[in-house]
Amino acid sequence: MVDLTMVLLAVFAGIALFFAYLAISERNLVRALIYSAVQSSAFAFIFYLLRAPDIVLVYVPISVGIYPAAILFLIRKTKEVEEP
Amino acid sequence: MRKFLTATAVIVIAVLSSVAVTVGGALGPLFNGVRSLAEFYLLNVFNAHNRTLTAMSPEAVTSIVWDYRGLDTLFETVVFYMAIIGCVALHRGIELTKRGSEVGLSRIVKTVTKILIPLNIVVAASIALHGHLTPGGGFQAGAAMAVAPIIIIVVFSRFFLMKRGVTKEVALSLRSMGLLGIALVALIPLVAWVTTGSVAYVMQNQVKTNSSFSFPAYIGGSLVSGSLIWYNIFEFLAVTFGFTIVFLLLSVDEETVRKVLGGDKHE
Repeated sequence: MVDLTMVLLAVFAGIALFFAYLAISERNLVRALIYSAVQSSAFAFIFYLLRAPDIVLVYVPISVGIYPAAILFLIRKTKEVEEP
Repeated sequence: MRKFLTATAVIVIAVLSSVAVTVGGALGPLFNGVRSLAEFYLLNVFNAHNRTLTAMSPEAVTSIVWDYRGLDTLFETVVFYMAIIGCVALHRGIELTKRGSEVGLSRIVKTVTKILIPLNIVVAASIALHGHLTPGGGFQAGAAMAVAPIIIIVVFSRFFLMKRGVTKEVALSLRSMGLLGIALVALIPLVAWVTTGSVAYVMQNQVKTNSSFSFPAYIGGSLVSGSLIWYNIFEFLAVTFGFTIVFLLLSVDEETVRKVLGGDKHE
């Protein structure tokens, strides 16, 4: 059975996978953080499609606000570019 | 070579997990009706005819989180509490000065932030106060509310927030008030047990088969779902100001932190 929910799930899971790969391979930590936040936002959509609005409500502020902010503060305390 | 290996690993894991959840059926039937466990909760969370099993809340998730599985959530709150305590302990001895440059970002960003912050606060408050009626609850509301101080710290500066009274001490005491409130609501049934002599359980919400204690499900005609609204409000306080403390401490510049944490040099 292929319906719209399954297709959207696959699309958002694909986006999340792509940005997860970018976040792993990126050496600039700020860019990696933004890729990771995009991946989390895709996860938030997936939770919504899986009919878990309670998790969406906590995942959106965490993935878009608190998590990038916390890591940005931490990156400022160290170096911006990862050394090989 | 490294990129090739990473890409291969990602693709292999993606293909394997896709096969597992589609052909293998690892997730079980998705979107195919309601399971029997869900049926039990959907029947009982808001059921005035079965008072010994109900939580008197139409929101099944909050009912499970703070009533049926209340102790789990209590320990989750304790874990969060310990994480904040760890952060505060790491930053001990660092004085958060109230005065400093309040340059912040450009005027455009500041104006947009000024418009958005009240909206943020209203949305967070409604998630907390309607947590027992619609999707949401204390932690969700606290996380949404914590975004406000973070944005203020980034856009305006830490001193802007501290001059208006949101200091580390204030945030610590408000967070402790939230935790104290959760503990009190959990222990109120015991007070009833001591004073009236009838059986009551810790974190009890509605009446049980051998206990007549019950939080009021309605106050002034509006549904408050017994203890659920109180847990949501106090968790909201604890989470909001827990995150605020962490970000106030993280926003101290690294040189000041190192000076304090480095201590004296050893010979």
